[in-house]
Amino acid sequence: MIRIVTLAPFDEGDINFLSKTLYRSFGIGTEHQGDRALPRKAELPDGRFDALKLLDDAPPVRAYSDDKVVYLTDVELANPKGPLGEPPAWGYALQGGERALVSTFRFKPRGVTEASIEIYRRRLARESIHFIGHLWDLHHCYDARCAMHPSWSPSLPDDPEFELDAFCRDKSERRIRLAKT
Amino acid sequence: MVTVGAVRTPGKRERTEKKEEDVPSAGGTIASSSDLKAGDRVVYPKQGVYRVTGLEQKDIAGQRLEFVKMTREEDGASVLVPLGKVATIGLRRVASADDIEGVFHYLGASYDDPELDWKVRHRDNVERLIAGGVLGVAEVVKGLHSLSRLRPLPAKERELYDSSRHLLVNEISVALGVPDVIAEDYIDYALMPPAGVKLPLKTPPTPVELKGPPWKRKKPVAADEEDDLGLAELGIDLGAIEGAAVGEAEESEEGEAEGEKASAEGADEGAEEAAVPPPRASPAKAPPVKAAPPARAAPPVKPAPPVKAVPVQKAVPTTRKAAPAAKKAAPPPRPTPPAKKAAPAAAKKAAPPARKAAPPAKKPAPKKAAPAKKPAKPAKGKKK
Repeated sequence: MIRIVTLAPFDEGDINFLSKTLYRSFGIGTEHQGDRALPRKAELPDGRFDALKLLDDAPPVRAYSDDKVVYLTDVELANPKGPLGEPPAWGYALQGGERALVSTFRFKPRGVTEASIEIYRRRLARESIHFIGHLWDLHHCYDARCAMHPSWSPSLPDDPEFELDAFCRDKSERRIRLAKT
Repeated sequence: MVTVGAVRTPGKRERTEKKEEDVPSAGGTIASSSDLKAGDRVVYPKQGVYRVTGLEQKDIAGQRLEFVKMTREEDGASVLVPLGKVATIGLRRVASADDIEGVFHYLGASYDDPELDWKVRHRDNVERLIAGGVLGVAEVVKGLHSLSRLRPLPAKERELYDSSRHLLVNEISVALGVPDVIAEDYIDYALMPPAGVKLPLKTPPTPVELKGPPWKRKKPVAADEEDDLGLAELGIDLGAIEGAAVGEAEESEEGEAEGEKASAEGADEGAEEAAVPPPRASPAKAPPVKAAPPARAAPPVKPAPPVKAVPVQKAVPTTRKAAPAAKKAAPPPRPTPPAKKAAPAAAKKAAPPARKAAPPAKKPAPKKAAPAKKPAKPAKGKKK
């Protein structure tokens, strides 16, 4: 089961679209677990939130073994700086773990038109699939049409696909089949 | 689950040991089991990061063997490596932060054209994963990544790409002390930086030179061999021959034609023909082709058209008929290897006069047919 937890107010239509998409992508039940408060402890002096700390401090949710929990937020996240700089943070997940975090901060504004809302929802679905994919031990994919392609990649179109490619889908299905529950 | 690693049957052992001798070693390779102590973190090539848990003794097939016990950090799988095998399986220390920085500079650097020959690529990749250290793993990831930009990877290579990426992510995350997902972000940040970002790159470290297989090292040797056709032995100076370059070019064309012919005739015949054809085919095939244009250009000569048409069409069948006889006749002179080398030279020597004599068109034709027939006769005689 995939459990969605919102750390900011989200439109119900967006959450419904996300639930349906996640169900279609991974073949496992998805439900909205409700809203939770954003842990302020993870806030950095520059106003951004440390992604690792935010996920650590995120309010726990009642879940069974092998359940995956996705936290949705709209704050700007920060990754630890690497040898070549700080990669932009669209979210964070524990590889092979149970909890993931997705931020909508870098999304295009949701807007009010049907088209812009559609693009926003598709992007939300894509990023959620991406970070849940990490929970299923998936790595980044070189194919720009796959949801596991890095979110900041220059080869990613403005409105990217929100599905896994054949290799990543097979791998995630194998992992899901091996799950205890 | 306990897996006994690196324990092989005697037959296989020799092969693996030989392989290990061939491959060069990256920095940090553990040379003997005495370098290991409990708590050490080591990288088992193509497996991942392990933590040494200690020594263990086991009775196997009546022998008391001592093993190093290691546990994979990723999933807790245990591996027992015989003490004597530690030096040969390519165990190495986890890369230092400096090494890892070098890896990122390597990943961020521009990349040469990826290897397009899948056999060479596969062999190189496997060697790099075993013996190239962390930079070797990065090489595999970068190589396959840049190849994927040209075309989608085949299934096997896609798996190799995924597993080598997994190894690299693991080692980087252990070396830098960051979670796997962040380590992977660093890798992809270097591989495909966001638009408008310029990475502060330094000169990347040089990867470990892999000793290529012999067939791979043939290329430079082949260039030398070209010069050494055994012409010196025969006292032939190519430079002194007029239009030597042209002759060579024509010969290569002939060679191609022969190759095609050989492939058409069959695989088992091909081997024999590869050795025999140069002396046989060059006089039979080359002259009719060359003789044709002048014959056309000389319409006043009456018999020219029939002569042109007949020998060309007949010459081919005669040589083909003669070929099996010549093949059977060939084995006796073949044992002397210089004969093979002398063949192209003889062909070269014979070709220019034939071409120069071509304009008359009548005379060379029978001359060319003759050498093809001549070997046939003694062959028959020998047969009888």
